[in-house]
Amino acid sequence: MEGLILLGQGVAHFLTPWSLFNVAWATLLGVTIGILPGLTATMGVALLVTLTYKMAPDQAILTLMCVYLGAIYGGSRTAILLNIPGTPANAAATLDGHPLARQGRAGLAMGLATTSSTLGTMVGIFFLAIIAPLLSEAALKFGSYEFFWLALFGVVISGQMTGSDTPLKGYIAGIIGLLVAMIGMETLHAYQRFTFGISALGGGVDLIPAMVGAFGLAEILSAMKRKAVGHIAPVNDRVVPRLKEIFQYWRTIIRSGVIGTFIGIIPGVGEDVGSWSSYAAAKRASKHPEEFGKGSQEGLIAAETGDNAVVSAAMIPTLTLAMPGSAAAAVLIAAMLIHGIRPGPMLMVENAPFLYQVVAMLLLATLANLIFGLSLTKLFIKVLAVPRERLMAVIYILCVVGSFAITQRMFDVYVMLVFGVVGFLLREMKYPMAPLVLGIVLGDLLDLNLRRGLALTNGDPSPFFTRPISAVICFVIVLTILMSIPAVSKRVRSLFSRTGADGSPARS
Amino acid sequence: MQTDADTDARQEGIRARADLVTALVLVALGLAVIYLSWTMPRLEARRIHPSTIPGLVPLFLGVGLTLLGGLLAWRSWRIKAPGGWQDLIGLVRTREALRIGVILALALVHTLVLVGLIPFWAAAMLFIFTFIMVFETWLNEGSADPVKSFIWALAVAVVFGGGIYLVFERIFLVRLP
Repeated sequence: MEGLILLGQGVAHFLTPWSLFNVAWATLLGVTIGILPGLTATMGVALLVTLTYKMAPDQAILTLMCVYLGAIYGGSRTAILLNIPGTPANAAATLDGHPLARQGRAGLAMGLATTSSTLGTMVGIFFLAIIAPLLSEAALKFGSYEFFWLALFGVVISGQMTGSDTPLKGYIAGIIGLLVAMIGMETLHAYQRFTFGISALGGGVDLIPAMVGAFGLAEILSAMKRKAVGHIAPVNDRVVPRLKEIFQYWRTIIRSGVIGTFIGIIPGVGEDVGSWSSYAAAKRASKHPEEFGKGSQEGLIAAETGDNAVVSAAMIPTLTLAMPGSAAAAVLIAAMLIHGIRPGPMLMVENAPFLYQVVAMLLLATLANLIFGLSLTKLFIKVLAVPRERLMAVIYILCVVGSFAITQRMFDVYVMLVFGVVGFLLREMKYPMAPLVLGIVLGDLLDLNLRRGLALTNGDPSPFFTRPISAVICFVIVLTILMSIPAVSKRVRSLFSRTGADGSPARS
Repeated sequence: MQTDADTDARQEGIRARADLVTALVLVALGLAVIYLSWTMPRLEARRIHPSTIPGLVPLFLGVGLTLLGGLLAWRSWRIKAPGGWQDLIGLVRTREALRIGVILALALVHTLVLVGLIPFWAAAMLFIFTFIMVFETWLNEGSADPVKSFIWALAVAVVFGGGIYLVFERIFLVRLP
């Protein structure tokens, strides 16, 4: 009951002309960023931190949240009309969205994507409002031991699930991120590590310039590598869908929403994984799996419900454990800290209304997406036609401004340049960015809690393995790592299937 | 004519060799981190517990990076990629590499030379104008219209170079470089 009252207060808090104005422009900007291929949600949020940092904390986070959700939604437009995912989260939407557009049903596809995005966010919001307070209360019992394992778990699971080529690259990206976090003054004994006499490195590598580089400059290089060619599909049919067209797939919507929520809760596993997982599950459960990839409405709904549910659910670990549920959520953590909001288990004790304000922000953002998405079709198509050559030049200037403005040091601009080039090279070689980001965010947490835990026991590591929650997380980490070894996972899978991994019947 | 399968196999070969080079760099980095962590002061004078020394976590990370780098090197070495090395070196001479090189050169000149030398808005306008002109004329893969590009480049440079300055420094009161 108290939760509902706080939720009501959260919504009422933002029903002011100024807040609604911020919701409107930020959502429009977010959708535009999403629509433009090469501009991602994380990049948009990272660049916008600069613009919002003189705002009041609630308005700043509201603006960033609208940009984040708007961009994830906006990418579906590009997927449908151009067959290019506007953001990585919308890759699965191209599979059925574009075939629908080619069949002359682009309007229907856009309508379905818009409504299912809203429904996905709603499912995520529902779980956010329910799970976050419970998890927050449970997390109050966590000590150094549990936080050490949680930080390690975040990096390991993110590495395992996002390493598209091999989990090995995911783990390596995670370790590189953790090593970056080791640069600068450590918090236990105030010793400066790996600074090599450079005073600017004393404070460590700031997350915002690093993110602007890895998601801004690296994206510019990837997008400009070759000239974009694409043909925008014409829109001749109705955009607003009939209720029946949506709700005949209610099972798919709920399933995809729940899968998206689950993926969102896992630290550092973002919208793209949520979208692909929902799509695969919908295909398995569908009565017409043969239509998937050829313009299945169910497939498009699954993909777009899944990725949007991730956005809301990513706020669960972000707010309660200060562990980013996605790459963009990592930037949100940095933005919250800039504005004096400290996410983590103490948030519900120190600033409980904020959690419900975040729920309200997501609610307003998704409603704005729905209204703009169903009404501003022509404007968004015009955005699609903006040439990359002209856009990317401006984006680079924004990257310089975005990395400089927070602490006003040219050093941060150089950090952006280094992360841009290294991030581009890593991306080209299929290293995922999410574990790297997670490593940078969680490095300090991992380092501090391991050594503090050891200090508390005078060097005895046994509580790390004997405390119940610690033991469970440790077991999951070991299992995750073991399962990423092909020989082990093959053997385990064969135990659970009737036939052996090689297709031969399993011996009993 | 090359088939898709040929192109895929070639790409895989290039990646296997690029992975090998990266893996060796990662192993070297891992070993360097191990050395630096091992030789990091252990603050004995401050009587801290030996299990809380600053180099502890970096040491573990260095060991982890060396092991994983070694595994990646072994994995990539085992992939047969005839002509992989030549293809990898050949990447430097592609048009894609040229486009990336040009962006980086423009970015470095803007950020390391122009910013600080001339006002930020002027550096921004100059960068935007040059970037658009280069990619719409010299590096354009389709038909180029230099006059149209010139007008667009000038317009975008003035509107956005000046616009960013006005919005950030005047409206949102954010200091620019």
